[in-house]
Amino acid sequence: MKKKFLSLAMGTVLLFSAVLTGCGGDAGTDSSSATADQPAVDTIESTPAEPAGDNAETDAGNASDTAADGEKVHLKWAAWDISLITYWNDLADKYMELNPNVEIEIVDFGSNDYSNVLATELSGSGTDFDVVSLKDVPSYATLVGKGVLEPLDSYITEDSVDLAQYAGVTDQVTVDGSLYELPFRSDIWLVFYNKDVFDAKNLEYPTNDMTIEEYDALARAVSDDAFGEEVYGCHYHTWSSTIQLFGILDGKHSILDKNYDFMIPYYEMVLAQEDDGICQKYTDLKTESLHYSAAFSEGNVAMINMGSWFVTTLINNLASGEYDASLCGNWGIAAYLHPDGVPAGSTLGAITGLAITSESQKKDAAWDFIKWVSGEEGAAVLASSGNFPAISNDDVTAAIASMDGFPQDEASRAALKTTAVYLEAPYGDELAEISPILGTYHEMIMQRECTPAEGVAKMNEEAGKIQ
Amino acid sequence: MAKNTELSAAAKKRNRRKNLVAYAFIAPNFIGFAVFTMIPIVVAFGMAFCNWDGNNAPQFTGLKNFIDLFQDTFFLNSLVNTFLYSIGTVPLTIAVALGLAILLNQKIRGRGVFRAISCFPYVSSIIAVTTVWRMIFHSSKGPVNNILYNAFHVPKDDLPQWFTGHLIILSYILFSLWKSMGYYMVIYLAGLQGISGELYEASDLDGANVWQKFRYVTWPQLRPTTFFVVIIMTIGCFKIYDTAVLLAGGSNMSTSAMVLVAFIYQEAFTKWNMGYASAAAIILFLIVLAVTLFQFKNESKYAND
Repeated sequence: MKKKFLSLAMGTVLLFSAVLTGCGGDAGTDSSSATADQPAVDTIESTPAEPAGDNAETDAGNASDTAADGEKVHLKWAAWDISLITYWNDLADKYMELNPNVEIEIVDFGSNDYSNVLATELSGSGTDFDVVSLKDVPSYATLVGKGVLEPLDSYITEDSVDLAQYAGVTDQVTVDGSLYELPFRSDIWLVFYNKDVFDAKNLEYPTNDMTIEEYDALARAVSDDAFGEEVYGCHYHTWSSTIQLFGILDGKHSILDKNYDFMIPYYEMVLAQEDDGICQKYTDLKTESLHYSAAFSEGNVAMINMGSWFVTTLINNLASGEYDASLCGNWGIAAYLHPDGVPAGSTLGAITGLAITSESQKKDAAWDFIKWVSGEEGAAVLASSGNFPAISNDDVTAAIASMDGFPQDEASRAALKTTAVYLEAPYGDELAEISPILGTYHEMIMQRECTPAEGVAKMNEEAGKIQ
Repeated sequence: MAKNTELSAAAKKRNRRKNLVAYAFIAPNFIGFAVFTMIPIVVAFGMAFCNWDGNNAPQFTGLKNFIDLFQDTFFLNSLVNTFLYSIGTVPLTIAVALGLAILLNQKIRGRGVFRAISCFPYVSSIIAVTTVWRMIFHSSKGPVNNILYNAFHVPKDDLPQWFTGHLIILSYILFSLWKSMGYYMVIYLAGLQGISGELYEASDLDGANVWQKFRYVTWPQLRPTTFFVVIIMTIGCFKIYDTAVLLAGGSNMSTSAMVLVAFIYQEAFTKWNMGYASAAAIILFLIVLAVTLFQFKNESKYAND
């Protein structure tokens, strides 16, 4: 009996400890598991370990700090949609080829809820991620506020990274003088258009210098409301950025303003277009959950304002036959539309960055990796698959424009030149509070639960309450 | 005497041993429950009085979160919406489920088939079903609005927009009714079959008509079932999240579509106001507790009848 009780008690204690250590992630257990890991990795990788050590020496000593005795440095990297977006693996493979002493493990958090999942992963202590990808500035702001990202300033100074090559976007995400991410992808907004639709109407294509009024007139001219054969002059995806952000192109406004009166005219324009059948109704797009790429691929949308990430989508899906080339194969791009009095080539920008977690045990190796990805070599890898790297220079732009499937006319190539790029959202510590407010009233205005003036007044009121 | 105390000591020991064995058996489940459910709930109670972003040290702010909540447009709207939804859903679902149960308790042909069919919505995937539902109620292409337009000649501009404005709560209610009536029908069927046939015979002898039999036999006999159904459904209604998010179309929800749990999720995991979200969760908890206690009290009053 005694024995039985003892074994039961032991069992209970075991269970307790298993459950508790499972969720407790203090520094103590972390380091012990890290040391326990290393020999394990060593034995598995024992064959390639030796040549790896040799190569590392010849390889100009990249990631020099860690690979002392030929052990592989293991970096864990958070990303999204690995199966759809090819560059994650391309970048990791290329870097590992150049630095055989480094091993990169990519973990996919999916794209829908990426920022929330990432923030949850990094909350508290005990994360084993070294490098994280940041999808947008609001997510960056959240993580910086939580204090889970490592400031990069000392690394930047030490390796004298020239921030000027990022064309000023790093200034817009600098927090109290410190930078916590390096951008590696930088997208601009463009107007994608379907040449066949314009040809059918004998109309000129959109130009690279198109004011918002000209765009509205062109959209109205090209559209057709013949029943069953509708042609829509333009298309606005359900994101608030597709309409609200026309207002920040003048460089005087931003979504951190807390007064959004500048958005009213654009809402009025789009709602009038909806009423006149120039674009599809927001309520329908929402009910159908219609993706913008699906809308454009049907061949009855003349113009769509969208980020340059759509270039890769179009090229890949047309190449694979997913989209019917007879419907949308003849596409072109024009520079983003701009308000009157603002120089042509002013557009919106969105950056995707890489950051190092403050809990990483291998910060030097992680820094070397993100420096490489956001540098020239990483840019070349990105550009080879039609993605826009954060470093933009003529070579990179030329590489993208010469890709198979990229529109070959001069105007489309010239559309990639920008004069001013305003981030969709610059860094601000109230960004996480402001975004949902703008989203809610965007929804209400577009669902016609209130007029643009009423909706914007509510935006101003609610944003004004943020302390 | 001495022998007696000795015995009782042995019995005590045996008892204690028995208890220990019992504790050991519930330990695996209880430890899991404590670590993953009970402790977080207790912590949430504490967090409700703090300002916490999930990482930095929490700061005690007293009742500030609760005061702020009752001045927060989005919270108040989601509270009202959740109440409207619950008040609409519970009685309607009970009426329909009970009606179905009574119908399918009759000896009719194909009873089994009909019973199975009414459970289909309950067992089908909510994501697939909401997608279909959204197409059925599509403002311009959906069959419902097409019937209204063609058969009832509702002018095109007056066709209902089922997923916006005040109609969205009605959409939530109709959807939940359709989705869960089969489940509650099964519960009511079980309740109906527990009613003794003698009671109906006796009421036949007394000359009761169909309504009187329902009013004075069926309904009182079903009271325990109704009690259970009301509590389970009310709790479920206050927790509405998936239906709302899927029908309203995700991410940006207008103030007329927002519900409490969606509000809590947004505060907690988008804005990382953990303390504020905890405070809202506590209010949700108190509401559910109050409703449940009220019903318990009512039930015990009737139980003495």
